Amino acid sequence: MAEAQLVIEHLTKVYERGEVLALDDVSFSVKKGEFLILIGLSGSGKSTLLRCINRLIEPTSGKILLDGVDITKAKTRDLRQIRRKIGMIFQQFNLVKRSSVRTNVLAGRLGYTSMWRSLSGRFSKQDLERTEVSLDRVGLSEKMHTRADQLSGGQQQRVGIARALMQEPELLFADEPVSALDPATSNSVLQYLEQMNQEDGVTVLCALHFLSLARRYGTRIIALKDGKIVFEGLPKEIDDARFKEIYGEDAEEVEIR
Amino acid sequence: MGDGLCERFGKGEDRLMVRDEYYAGFMQRKPAWMEAFEALKARIAAFVVDYIAIFYLIVIAAYCITELSGYQGSFFPLPWWILLIVVGELIVLWETFGISLGMRVAGIRLRTEDGNTVPFRRSIIRYLAWHISALPAIGCLAILWNKDRLSWHDRMSGTKIEKQRETYKTSIAWYRSSRGITTALLIFFTLLAGVFITEINLHTLFTGASKTGRLWKALFTPDWAVLGEGINLLIVTIFMALMATLFAIVFAVPLSFLAARNLMHGFIGRTVYIVVRIAMSITRSIEPIIWAIIFVVWVRLGTFPGVLALFVHSIADLTKLYSERLESIDLGPVEAIRATGANNLQVIMYGIVPQIVNPYLSFTIYRWDINVRMATIIGIVGGGGIGQLLYHYTRHWKWHAAGTLMLLIILTVWAIDYLSSRLRESLE
Repeated sequence: MAEAQLVIEHLTKVYERGEVLALDDVSFSVKKGEFLILIGLSGSGKSTLLRCINRLIEPTSGKILLDGVDITKAKTRDLRQIRRKIGMIFQQFNLVKRSSVRTNVLAGRLGYTSMWRSLSGRFSKQDLERTEVSLDRVGLSEKMHTRADQLSGGQQQRVGIARALMQEPELLFADEPVSALDPATSNSVLQYLEQMNQEDGVTVLCALHFLSLARRYGTRIIALKDGKIVFEGLPKEIDDARFKEIYGEDAEEVEIR
Repeated sequence: MGDGLCERFGKGEDRLMVRDEYYAGFMQRKPAWMEAFEALKARIAAFVVDYIAIFYLIVIAAYCITELSGYQGSFFPLPWWILLIVVGELIVLWETFGISLGMRVAGIRLRTEDGNTVPFRRSIIRYLAWHISALPAIGCLAILWNKDRLSWHDRMSGTKIEKQRETYKTSIAWYRSSRGITTALLIFFTLLAGVFITEINLHTLFTGASKTGRLWKALFTPDWAVLGEGINLLIVTIFMALMATLFAIVFAVPLSFLAARNLMHGFIGRTVYIVVRIAMSITRSIEPIIWAIIFVVWVRLGTFPGVLALFVHSIADLTKLYSERLESIDLGPVEAIRATGANNLQVIMYGIVPQIVNPYLSFTIYRWDINVRMATIIGIVGGGGIGQLLYHYTRHWKWHAAGTLMLLIILTVWAIDYLSSRLRESLE
């Protein structure tokens, strides 16, 4: 495991309120260039796991090593540098709805921009050019000056991807990126992720609900249940028995293409 | 440079973001104190309703007695503490030996431990036990920490308060259920007692009308000689409102962040939140005209105390409006911006500000509109502006001049109201 890019050791998260164990001693590692899929029921800890890694949520205990550096010990300034290496897209897209597409995409550059420049809104020329390139990649260059809430769900998620591209990320976290989208759009969004994964060599960690999509795009799957890892392996290894183990006895697989 | 400012939002990196509450929403459990309070709530509600009901009876009775006997004196012929005890005893008797009005409204009833009707003997025990239990109050509050939610007097008499089953709730018309009827009676008696308390007198309302004839006539034949002076003061008044609003923004915007529940985390954050909230609600509950009285003493008569009064009240009011808006922002983008590696100030600028800037402007215009209206009357206590002159004229029976000023005020308020609503519409 010498080339492991991201190593998670004994990661545990206890929510103070209600004393819920959201992550229970989770350990795994991710190699550079993987397309790792996280599956599991709602509330199984997928979102918490991703947010603990970039510390949007403070983990209770455990270690997270990114290129050998322990993220859990990072101070404010270092943490921001780590975060800008990790792009993130969300189930609800999380765009600023009243702002233009351009502003939303430029926000991906904030980690690189000095305080003064970002407060006065003077981004560098390269950043402005980069915005055009990013939007072009997701096929939305004409929508540059449209308000974000004027776009369809799929388009909004593509703006989210463009925002992540601005960070020139080494890792990309996707928290159920297609749960709010229809099947056709889902596929196209995941294709953009695949493209980032293969062309730019970005390591992808993607929480998904649909197993069929997980099989289609994932190079490896980790399944969570009640905050514990219950499966770790190749997509094809998930058979009926495994499926029931992850999702419960009553679950039935739904096909989506 | 921004880090200094950010310190005020709480120590450390992640105060200003989607914290555990956001994702743990589905895991939340009611805190123990809240559960305990729920248990006590129905009983308190029943007691309060009974108290009000008996209080009404006494008000009505006292009114009848004074009317019939011509006795001129205190509304309540008994000393207050005797009254308090008598009412208390009546309620306990009522609640112990039957289903009181309040119990009906709260939907509770008294039962034995095993759920049967309470025999007379136990009722007496409960009534007597109540005095031991309730007088030091501990016995009643015991409900809060007892696992089975029983007070001392419940335990001693082997009774319990039971939530009435509400199976009939869907099918019976309100006037057929005892709960519906008691609620209706309560509303009726509230109105009846209210008439007596506020001394509503329709007779004088109609017979006295003729006396105002001269006044109306004067008001509608304005004295144009004071027009120039009036317009002058009107401009002063509008500027008073404007200055108060503008200066209030400077304070209210930062305060609103401190008063937004979703942004203030941790022990320090929560403490600041509570302090700011309490301070603002106290400030807001004191009307500008009272503030004006205070500032007139403080900085002498004139327009300045008026501005200060409006300013102080506006800070509190705007802080409330702003922070409520902040509490309803979408935290998703805030989280997303933070994830890009932005610092606190950048998160505010790019994640929060776009979501609040229009509502803030809209609230501010609304407040300016209110301030103009308030500035016109604040002069009555010496706070300057057109109100002061208006008060002067009315005190000296110069109704024609007063009419001119009133006309000016009506026109201005109408214009500002129109302007403000148009401006706010365009911000939607």
